[in-house]
Amino acid sequence: MKSAWTSRLTSFLFILPYLAAFGLFLLFPILYGVVISLQDFELLSAEHAFVGLSNYITIFTPGTYENSLFFKGLWTTAQFVLYSVPLLIVIGLGLAMLLNALPARVRGLFRTFYFLPYALSASVMAVIWLMMFDTNAGFLNSLLAKLGMAGIPWLTDTPWAWISLVSTTIWWTIGFNMIIFINALNEVPEEYYEAASIDGAGPWSRFVSITLPTIRPVLLFVMITSTIASFNIYAQPFLLTRGGPGDTTRVLLINVLDQAFARKDVGSASAMAILMAVLIMAVSVVQFKLTNRKEKA
Amino acid sequence: MANPKTKQAILLLLAAVIALVMVLPLVWMLSTAFKNDFEALSGRMDFLPRKPTLDNFKQGLGGELMNTPVLRWIANSLSVGVIGTGLVLLIDSMAAFALARLNDLPLRRVLLPMFIASLMIPGVLTFLPMYMEFNSLGLINTYPALILPATAGAFGVFLLYQFFVSFPKEIEEAGRIDGVNKWQLYARILLPSAVPIMVTLGIFTFMGIYNDFVWPLYATTSPEMRTITAGIAMMATGSYTQSYGKLMAMTTIAALPVVLIFILGQKSFLRAITSAGVK
Repeated sequence: MKSAWTSRLTSFLFILPYLAAFGLFLLFPILYGVVISLQDFELLSAEHAFVGLSNYITIFTPGTYENSLFFKGLWTTAQFVLYSVPLLIVIGLGLAMLLNALPARVRGLFRTFYFLPYALSASVMAVIWLMMFDTNAGFLNSLLAKLGMAGIPWLTDTPWAWISLVSTTIWWTIGFNMIIFINALNEVPEEYYEAASIDGAGPWSRFVSITLPTIRPVLLFVMITSTIASFNIYAQPFLLTRGGPGDTTRVLLINVLDQAFARKDVGSASAMAILMAVLIMAVSVVQFKLTNRKEKA
Repeated sequence: MANPKTKQAILLLLAAVIALVMVLPLVWMLSTAFKNDFEALSGRMDFLPRKPTLDNFKQGLGGELMNTPVLRWIANSLSVGVIGTGLVLLIDSMAAFALARLNDLPLRRVLLPMFIASLMIPGVLTFLPMYMEFNSLGLINTYPALILPATAGAFGVFLLYQFFVSFPKEIEEAGRIDGVNKWQLYARILLPSAVPIMVTLGIFTFMGIYNDFVWPLYATTSPEMRTITAGIAMMATGSYTQSYGKLMAMTTIAALPVVLIFILGQKSFLRAITSAGVK
């Protein structure tokens, strides 16, 4: 009996270091975040009174500062999700199909080019594009000037600010979706296409009736990961547009961090962060359910 | 479009144009890094600088720019990345080994689903409380604050678990007959066979830690504790807003390690991404 007990202990020792990290830097923060959101938690003060759901109630009370901060930010983030996710899916799939249609010996080279920006840090990516978009000396406006066209206020006027944020996001992250799609396309059995060709199906009908249904689970995966990633947008508006023009691109995450660090109201910011996290998880679940139902029908 | 050769040529042309769009900003970054601030702001479209200069790199690396100890930032980023990656590889492989191979592991049925479920938790949920946690421990603006949060991620455990679970049982049993204990089984039999997947996880983890910038931006408060990615963000929002020559020299330096690792370890990196996609 004793040896079985020590054996179990030894087994447990293997998992203990990770379990400790998991507990300290994931489980505990989640629970602690809930506690903070129920407190009047000022960043620099040592005592935090329990206030129940008051932080949440303030967020949902029309007319309060927190209410407009949260819902304006949420609407701005939702706009970015709506603009970016369809493009991230369509262009990602398009690039994957383009690569697969190329001769095998150049495929690897082009894949590296398309994927390269994904290796960069968000801050490096944003600062590079800050220079590309510069109104007076930027690459794009210099190019337009050379072509005899007027410069574009890339970061300081709408809809250009949105166009800039969405295109930098595509430039930076499209490689990820492309790789996932390439993998999925390569797993569509060749016989399916052969059978369809014999039936006289053209490229478009083969795409609609074979490719799309076969890669549907991967399509769903990319849709969910892209939605989550776009929901978490921060670096691009933080560094490129600084939330502008006005506050048209002040996304939710900027507002949450601002509430915590600039206004020092960590309690209210935590409540916003929890609401945002719940929304992100809910969107994934809804997308998953919706696509599953279609499959059954 | 009937002619397959014409079709191939059109596709190749399209692919080349897209490749140009993807690479152009990086080429322009390199070119601007060798221009002085005046030329960088001139609005001329010279890919080759008229007066090429190394001043941006010299000043940056020589610590001549106010509040931007760039060499220190690079050292911070590299050491935080290497130590964090080492820690993740060690504790994740031990945990994955226990989950996949040790049948008498207590709570096994609870732990694995819990770890997998944690992959769906958005970072925004833990960001502020983790900041307050490190703050009350007095660890804000220290290396542990930059390293430890990365160790909680379950991706590595999950990736290595899948590998260890499919590892042939016979080799393990042969070892057991030879009187090998669990530690030896882990260190001498399973770990050596897992080198390729460990390299994959290592590259993935290093790039994740090295490239992160929001957490380091808030978790560090003094210039010399910044990582290069957070430092660049501070420069771009601070006194170097339009010093594109200097900024591009810094982004070039910051991008160099990850771009090199990415090109050398591309296969491994892609494997990590596709295994993240297989669910």
